[in-house]
Amino acid sequence: MVRFENVGMRYGAGPEVLRDVTFVLEAGSFTFLTGLSGAGKTTLLRLIDMMQPPSRGLVTLFSRDLSVTKRSEFPALRRRIGVVFQDFRLLPHLSAFDNVALPLRLAGRRENEYEQDVEELLSWVGLGDRMRAKPATLSGGEQQRIAIARAVVARPDLLIADEPTGNVDAEIGQRLIRLFAELNRLGTTVLIATHDRALIEGMRAREMRLVDGRLVEMRTQRP
Amino acid sequence: MNLGRNANAILPREKGAAPLDIVIAIMAFLAALALGASLIAERTALGWRAGLSDRLTVQIVPPAQDAPGAGLDRETDAALAVLRATPGIAHAAPLSQDQTLALVQPWIGSDALVAELPLPRLIDATITPGAQVDLAALTHELKKAAPDSLVDDHARWISRLKALAEAITWSAYGILLLIAIATAATVAFATRAGLEAYHEIVALLHQMGAQSRFIARAFERHYFVSTLGASLVGAALAALFFASVGGLEFAGVEAVPFLPPLGLRLAEMPWLLLVPAVSGIIALATARISVLAALRQIY
Repeated sequence: MVRFENVGMRYGAGPEVLRDVTFVLEAGSFTFLTGLSGAGKTTLLRLIDMMQPPSRGLVTLFSRDLSVTKRSEFPALRRRIGVVFQDFRLLPHLSAFDNVALPLRLAGRRENEYEQDVEELLSWVGLGDRMRAKPATLSGGEQQRIAIARAVVARPDLLIADEPTGNVDAEIGQRLIRLFAELNRLGTTVLIATHDRALIEGMRAREMRLVDGRLVEMRTQRP
Repeated sequence: MNLGRNANAILPREKGAAPLDIVIAIMAFLAALALGASLIAERTALGWRAGLSDRLTVQIVPPAQDAPGAGLDRETDAALAVLRATPGIAHAAPLSQDQTLALVQPWIGSDALVAELPLPRLIDATITPGAQVDLAALTHELKKAAPDSLVDDHARWISRLKALAEAITWSAYGILLLIAIATAATVAFATRAGLEAYHEIVALLHQMGAQSRFIARAFERHYFVSTLGASLVGAALAALFFASVGGLEFAGVEAVPFLPPLGLRLAEMPWLLLVPAVSGIIALATARISVLAALRQIY
């Protein structure tokens, strides 16, 4: 699903924020990406999401070597990825419903085809009564749930999430993780960047740990 | 707000869009004025040409050494006989002395002395519509019958009027072209500013796998709708201007002496709708080109 081979990344003339990162995410796997702030977790996720090319090394996504893939093919690849951003990135002028429906619209689906799915998903994340609310009127936790609903609504092949439970209480956090686990059970490959040890320890999942831009450890967690 | 019904809603109404709307409205107003001017020029030139092209004027110029009177009358009668016998001449009649004096009155007044001036005799002839008159042959025949006759088919006037009308029309087209370029530049500038303002939204849509043309379409619609609205206002103001001038002229107030009426006729008003239509298309194309060029810069 995802393969990194000796990937390095630096911004401009700055120091390398990722160094010689090599790993494989198998299709259907569930992986936590851990590390301290500044370890390079967000940069690694950005490379997977094709937001920028690596400074060196090889990134393979959905069996496609990105260094030789045509730019015109990127949008279709990106639509196979669901992303939960640390800062949510909701469109402020759109309702919760329209924010969640956005990936389906981009995939060319009609409203009458997805209306029920979106409403059900919003109800599932506890926002059934706030569908028409604008993000500015919602709490941080509610916005995060909308961001997660948006990332999973199109049932992506790969889900990447950057600190997805950082703004919600423990109960909602567990509920969201169960949502990710359910998606994973249905075949979605999941990669979650987090520093919440409690979240990791409750799951049977693989852990990749970054320290100063290097991947130092890969192990499988037992609940 | 529902995206299913309104894809344009992906972009919010731009803050600070009012100045852009005002600039577009003013440019549309000026463009509509230029278009209206070209319509008036064309219509007036057509009227003048139609009024003159089926007419001939024959002058019998008084000979310098001869006393005016009997000779002029004889030549006038002879010229009239030639004209009436010429195929294609529907009607020919001499102007009376009073009519001739009325013609020169704006330039030399109506003093009693004017009546003593050796004025030429004028014959007004009308050509049968569609008929071809051999002017060279007619002139030859007239010279034989009335040696002091001169034929004026108004060709010189018609060609000058045509040149004047063409100059006005092409000037108006030039102004329209300049305004179109200014509109495109304004929209390109606004689109780039919009891309800056909406950078996060564009980046998010891009990241979520939106095709460049989907993002471009959102901008296109955004600027098409705002440009169309603003230029409709500008064109409406221009229509109001032409209607007001037309109303004043109808009430007897002459806008500019010697110039044709400056009001647009009701049937000509719909032409002004071309201004918002073309402005909208320019905005649409400019926004698309600008956005696609900007998106090519993103990985």
